[in-house]
Amino acid sequence: MTIEAVNTRARGLRAHRESESAGLAGVLRRLDWLLLLALGGVVGYGLWAIDGITRHDPGGSAVTRQGLYVFAGALLFVAALVVDPDRFRAFWRPIYFGTLGLMMFVLVAGAATRGSRRWIDVGFFTFQPSEFGKVLFVLALAGLLAERSRSIGDPRAPLAALGYGLPPIVLVFVQPDIGTALVYMAALAAVLFIAGVRWSHLGVLGAITVAGALAVLWLLPVAGVNVLKPYQTDRLVGFTHPGNDPRGATYNLRQSITAVGAGGLRGRGVLGATQTRLNYLPEHATDFAFASLAEERGFFGAAILLLLYLLVVWRALKIVAGARDLYCAVVAGGIAFMFLFQVFVNSAMTMGVAPITGIPLPFVSVGGSSMITNFLAIGILQSIHLRRGMRRRG
Amino acid sequence: MANAPGRFLPGDPRTAEPYRLTPQLALRVAILAFLALGVFALLFLRLWALQVLSGDRYLAQANDNRVRTIRVEAPRGPVLDRYGRLVVTNVPGTRVELWPADLPKSWPVERKELRALAVVTGVSVQEMLAQLRRHGQDPLTPIVVQNGLHQDQIDYLRERAPDFPGVQLQESYLRKYPYRSLAAQVLGYVGQISPSEYTSLKTKGYVPTDSIGQAGIESTYDTYLRGKNGKAQLTVDSRGRPKGRATLVTQFTPGEALRLTIDIKLQRAAEQALRYGIHLARVSGIEGQHANGGSIVALDPRDGAVLAMASYPTYQPSIYVGRKDATKLAPVLDPKTAELANHPGINRAIDAAYPPGSTFKPVTALAAMQEGLMHPYETIPCIPVYTAYRQAFNNWTPLINMGMDLQRALAQSCDTYFYELGRRFYVLPSDRGHPLQGWANRFGLGEKTGIDAGPEAAGLIPTPEWRRAAYPASQGYGVIDRTWKPGYSIQLAIGQGQVLVTPLQMARLYAVIANGGKLVTPHLAADVELTGNDGKAARILRRFGAQPSQPTGVDPTALRYVQQGLEEATHASFGTSSGVFGNFPVDIAGKTGSAEKNVTLPGYPQAPKLTQSWWCGYGPFDAPTIVVCAVIENGGHGGTAAAPAALKVFEQYFRKSATPTAHASD
Repeated sequence: MTIEAVNTRARGLRAHRESESAGLAGVLRRLDWLLLLALGGVVGYGLWAIDGITRHDPGGSAVTRQGLYVFAGALLFVAALVVDPDRFRAFWRPIYFGTLGLMMFVLVAGAATRGSRRWIDVGFFTFQPSEFGKVLFVLALAGLLAERSRSIGDPRAPLAALGYGLPPIVLVFVQPDIGTALVYMAALAAVLFIAGVRWSHLGVLGAITVAGALAVLWLLPVAGVNVLKPYQTDRLVGFTHPGNDPRGATYNLRQSITAVGAGGLRGRGVLGATQTRLNYLPEHATDFAFASLAEERGFFGAAILLLLYLLVVWRALKIVAGARDLYCAVVAGGIAFMFLFQVFVNSAMTMGVAPITGIPLPFVSVGGSSMITNFLAIGILQSIHLRRGMRRRG
Repeated sequence: MANAPGRFLPGDPRTAEPYRLTPQLALRVAILAFLALGVFALLFLRLWALQVLSGDRYLAQANDNRVRTIRVEAPRGPVLDRYGRLVVTNVPGTRVELWPADLPKSWPVERKELRALAVVTGVSVQEMLAQLRRHGQDPLTPIVVQNGLHQDQIDYLRERAPDFPGVQLQESYLRKYPYRSLAAQVLGYVGQISPSEYTSLKTKGYVPTDSIGQAGIESTYDTYLRGKNGKAQLTVDSRGRPKGRATLVTQFTPGEALRLTIDIKLQRAAEQALRYGIHLARVSGIEGQHANGGSIVALDPRDGAVLAMASYPTYQPSIYVGRKDATKLAPVLDPKTAELANHPGINRAIDAAYPPGSTFKPVTALAAMQEGLMHPYETIPCIPVYTAYRQAFNNWTPLINMGMDLQRALAQSCDTYFYELGRRFYVLPSDRGHPLQGWANRFGLGEKTGIDAGPEAAGLIPTPEWRRAAYPASQGYGVIDRTWKPGYSIQLAIGQGQVLVTPLQMARLYAVIANGGKLVTPHLAADVELTGNDGKAARILRRFGAQPSQPTGVDPTALRYVQQGLEEATHASFGTSSGVFGNFPVDIAGKTGSAEKNVTLPGYPQAPKLTQSWWCGYGPFDAPTIVVCAVIENGGHGGTAAAPAALKVFEQYFRKSATPTAHASD
């Protein structure tokens, strides 16, 4: 049954042909140019957007700093192209435990900012392990699942993935960084999904997640156990009923919605965007960058960015379909879904349709860790695409 | 085949057999793709809804956010006396406001800021929080923390503005009282609008940060004095820090000047006279040793214009201005301290009621003549003790035994003469009603005078009906208590018993006698105006002036006998205050009163019966232009304390009006 289901584009044959003409030219020809274009578009557009967003901030425009991150990210992107994904598969355990170790380290020694320990200060730049961890997490779990690909229908496979997946999620959660923890959960769900875990098992896991969420948000607080801090609960559920309390939990949300709405069709421009310029919109360079962009550049400006994101997601899914083996497919699927999840949760939260969480907007929010991680992720996608149709050795 | 060296991508023979996309994976990728499409569709729809469909609304919201409308306070109108002297004016000041919306969002930071502000202003954190709570429903309206800051406080807050988000300094005006405590109770004061006042006044354009006249004429004429605040717009950032200068939207309209009928020099004389009268009472001996308060009212009998209205003890209205000092405010605000200080906040001229004593006798005389119960030349015995209904009623002096006609009885203030009149009223058949009380009411007693400054006491003219209502059987009062007994009528005839009057009511009564029978409405405000620079009105905006006087229906002939009696009282050898007024160049007529009242005194377990010293009268006798009524609480006989005090007022008044050139120069 599987043999007949060959992709109609017979990529095997074509891959074979193209692999013969490898070399730099071959690499360039085999790259996904649409994805590269989308990446360039998002990055360039993001730089332009962040320049406008941060121009009136006390520190001045962040575009130079962001440009440096882009440069560093581009280097990592090229490096990711060079490395065969098989390396990641082979070393998934070191990758996994390394990530875990880093996360524990940050909890112990990390720099606390606004009550949360997520950063490690490495001198020239503060480094956020949980951001890098996103991609490493996907690589590690994909390795685990690829190892068990023959018995993927066995409930022990998803259970093992869960067993490996939960510790990093918990570590991120206690930093506390609920947003990133949610991204990890999304990535876990995506790898299980792409790896071919049975629908019934997925269903059970989904039900458990829903029950867990209900317990954390509602049942346990009623019973007197507070897993979340009050402000976290407020943010998670606050978007469903933005009250008229300007000093309360929904202040950011109301300001954000106002900013987006005030942007109108064409935007208010950098000077006219008072929500951003007069700092009514907090965190407009990072978490609420989308709202700022929407205020300054309007519907057209925000739509261009969303379309570029859509292009990235579309190409990523194409790469999943064309991956040379299950491991690559799972990695690409995890990355694609994670990307989609971040774009959605971030932009939707600024418009009041998703909970407020500290998830950066990929390639736009100011921040080195996020920028470099996203470059790495797209680099791995390209790397997988590059090696499409090439059966792994051994 | 081995990898060719230098080849970036290793050749692998097994790539010839590609990994195949299983249908299961294809399905799952497709599901992801649809999910992605759905997600982006949702984002686009939401973006469209926010930005295009309701963009205008959010744009307006964003503009509201950034533009803060601030009040440009209008200077409150000045208060002038009748000759244009500034009695109340303004000085510019600075006040601290808190904008709730701009305070730090986290409570520890906010508390820290409020504590720092408390140190600077001296207003406690609790007080600020209480104010914030009261105005909690409106985060874009500031609360006023403190008015009238010192320059060093202003400097401190200006320099450290970044540490005080939500704190703003505003220019404002403070009330200034160039004559210090003069006419304090008449003027009233200005204070922050209270929540209950705001609720009832918000439809009239008041806002929660407004100041409002709280008593006296400041309260009555608040709508004229307050002016109209201007508006300015200020662009602020999210922490409430102004960006750039405020732009004026509407200029303020200053409050209108209020001209009073009071002559501030006469007012000063009256207040000095009051203290003089109290002093006289205290040094006069046992009778007046507890003298501790009183009031003097000077009224123009022709139109009811109040020329002076003094009340003692008094206070400085400036204690209400700017920085509040609890110890200074305690005598007017705290009931216990007020008790000890003998209630300086009360305007005794209108809000304190005393038994009138003999000053009430003209009412009895007029009523008796009107009702045909007495003829002015009828001789009624004036004896040490009057006995009726097996009760003895003492004359104020036992050293007399002769028949008297009305004039003499008034001049000598013979009690037994009036006891007899009281008995005659008592024995009237019931179909005649209660003419004595009826006439008292016609002369304005027992009801509020309607003066334009409150609060005002109505006083009391007791009637049998009142007695029944005031001593209800339901509270256990027996028939005896509830019955109007002959002694009540007899006591009422000399202004004793339960009758209570305010000094202003008495002044009004004597104005009726002086002006030939017209009941005037006392008033304090002459007009509101734009004032020129010479003390004269440049343009009168609204004249309040005198209400038309009401005829009382009193017979002018009867009135004439009473007038003669009052003139004899101040000039005849036997007059009760001839010693005081006999030598005064202007012909003054008037009546003493020595009313007994049970007074609670600190240190006395039982309220002793003390004499309230009264004198009411007018001058010049032929064409009266001023009525003066003085009462010295616990001051003893009217002739010892109240009459000399009243004389001081006449002295000031007539020196003025006799030499108009002198008055223009001072």
